[in-house]
Amino acid sequence: MFNYTFHWRPALQALPQMLQGTLVTLQLAILSMIIGVAFGVVLALMRQSKNPLIHFPATVWVEVARNTPALLQIYMAYFGLGQLGIRLDSFVALLIGITFNNAGYLAETFRGGLRAIPQTQTRAARSLGFGAYQAFTLIVLPQLFRVVFHPMTNQMVWAILMTSLGVVVGLNTDLTGVVQDLNVRTFRTFEYFAIAAVLYYLIAKFVTLGARLLAWRLFRY
Amino acid sequence: MFQTAFSLNDLWFMAQGAGWTLLITAIAMVGGTVLGLVFGVTRAVLPGWTTLPLGFFLDIFRSVPLLIQLILANSFIPILGFRASPFAVSCIVLALYTSSYCSEIVRGGVQAVPQTTRRAARSLGMTWWQDMTEIVYPMALRVMLPSWIGLTLGVMKDTALVGWIGVIELLKSSQILITRMQNEPLFILIIAGVIYFLISFPISRLGARLESRFREND
Amino acid sequence: MKWMPLAATAALLTMLTVPQAFADKLDDIIASGVLRCAVVLDFPPMGSRDANNNPVGFDVDTCTDLAAALGVTPEFVETPFPDRIPALVSGRADVGVASTSDTLERAKTIGFSIPYFAFTNVVLTRTDAGIADYEGLKGKKLGSVAGTFEAILLEDDMKTWGSTSTFQGYQSQADVFQALSQGQIDATVVTSTVAFATIASGNFNNLAIAGDAPYPIDYVSLIGLRTEYGLLNYLNLFVNQQIRSGRYQELYNKHVGEGDAPDLLIPGAYY
Repeated sequence: MFNYTFHWRPALQALPQMLQGTLVTLQLAILSMIIGVAFGVVLALMRQSKNPLIHFPATVWVEVARNTPALLQIYMAYFGLGQLGIRLDSFVALLIGITFNNAGYLAETFRGGLRAIPQTQTRAARSLGFGAYQAFTLIVLPQLFRVVFHPMTNQMVWAILMTSLGVVVGLNTDLTGVVQDLNVRTFRTFEYFAIAAVLYYLIAKFVTLGARLLAWRLFRY
Repeated sequence: MFQTAFSLNDLWFMAQGAGWTLLITAIAMVGGTVLGLVFGVTRAVLPGWTTLPLGFFLDIFRSVPLLIQLILANSFIPILGFRASPFAVSCIVLALYTSSYCSEIVRGGVQAVPQTTRRAARSLGMTWWQDMTEIVYPMALRVMLPSWIGLTLGVMKDTALVGWIGVIELLKSSQILITRMQNEPLFILIIAGVIYFLISFPISRLGARLESRFREND
Repeated sequence: MKWMPLAATAALLTMLTVPQAFADKLDDIIASGVLRCAVVLDFPPMGSRDANNNPVGFDVDTCTDLAAALGVTPEFVETPFPDRIPALVSGRADVGVASTSDTLERAKTIGFSIPYFAFTNVVLTRTDAGIADYEGLKGKKLGSVAGTFEAILLEDDMKTWGSTSTFQGYQSQADVFQALSQGQIDATVVTSTVAFATIASGNFNNLAIAGDAPYPIDYVSLIGLRTEYGLLNYLNLFVNQQIRSGRYQELYNKHVGEGDAPDLLIPGAYY
């Protein structure tokens, strides 16, 4: 049955390099989430505006992000913008691609979350003398994050999985990039990518577990 | 900018790519939904600990990048001695990937039906099967359908990754054209993006409409 | 006596089935009537696509010749550079006619024929990058196709330079040229034939060759599965016959240009 002999020993020797790549992967995912959440909140608020000049760009962003493949968005950030003279590093292009995607999805999540928070809360805050900004940041936002915490965790896992696409724009420092480099030198595809799959699984579980602990710490009564 | 070597012939080439995108999506959704229903109902009905291994297995597909799943399957299936075309590998991997998400949707849908409703059905003399088909199914469907449409769109966009293992779908076809006409990547990528958008956007609107209609009747 | 027909049938069946179990790749190809060649189609003049998006090039013609010699029809399996060998190992292609450098690292996984072409490498840069020769690459943003002969040598040299140059490994030759032209990288090292063909294509007007790269000659071979000795022997003879018959020179003139095709003899060594 097996016309192929596994070479696990050299593959396992490359583990330190892969762990180095894992750090870059985590770094990318976390950065893209932080920036993505910021943009997501802004986009969700912009979409609530009655003014079409504010409403429209946000809608375009959200719909394009949600209706085209992430891979296309990343490719666009690197080679598309490159044609316009905007030369980005692979790392930055990937970060922009994933952040664009994250922000689009998170904006929809936040929009749903905002709906779940009764208008009366804001009114109550305002009548207690809160300013509009204070009412939003002190009353609405904390409740919003509680409502959307679970979908946000999912998006974080998505962000980690999406970082694997950086390899198409020449990124060779993240986990997939490192593994692909090893793969093209030795052509031991299965061995290297199997180890990568295990590492991705562990990262995803680690993040999910971390989020659960955080939720327990933040949201218990 | 508007002087382009892009010909009608090339647009046809991309349309063929879009055809493969749709075909793979359709196969993955049919396979994934059938498997997802089986897995999802199993996980919703049996006691939690008995389905832990199944849950673990399905969770892998949601925790490892799809690109790596495709690469692994593409190298492992031949190692096992089977000959599979990249197209077949893509369909198999995407169907399992879809079933993993679909089973969560189904499980959520079934569990969203209140236990009291189901007990009432059984007290009225309905069998377990009647309860599942007459009570749980229509009620769960309203919870599941919008998510299922979202999943379809997600899978459609994820098919862009199968180009990596050699299926010439929409994105791959645009990359082939870029290789030939290297000075206009932006133009070709925009065409690809527009095609994806035209496929995806109407369906996502439909999903949103269904969701709000279901919410009105709650 | 009535056992005789049964025994005869059994013996006949054994004779029919057993040899089939030992059919090797070469037999499989001839029996199936199709030769599936892994080719790289973003590597002109070795492989590219014409205006109708059909495969053309030196490698494509070589595969067609090989199929003709075997008496079967050729089928082209397009693979980006990093996917050539996985395509073979995974059985999606029977042979690779894909400008594959015969490195010892790769020979642990696949089998090589004798060389069927040889490249020299040059520095390809953007006209405004201010790079005049190979030495000028120090401290610049460099890139190449990940894992290729020239990429590995370039990365090794960069380590000895120890300066602030960066390296990006792309997954296809097309992406490297794209990134070079757009400015994400300043220079690459690439085979001279490909560099000339790319500049001649007129797709880029801002690329220029900046001297030779001081690398050994890059001999490239046809590839097959490591264990398929029958096929590998056939490939060796095929390459030999291409040169003997003058077809090698003919294809060189057709796809690369005037002049003599590269000498495939390694001076002072047996193969």
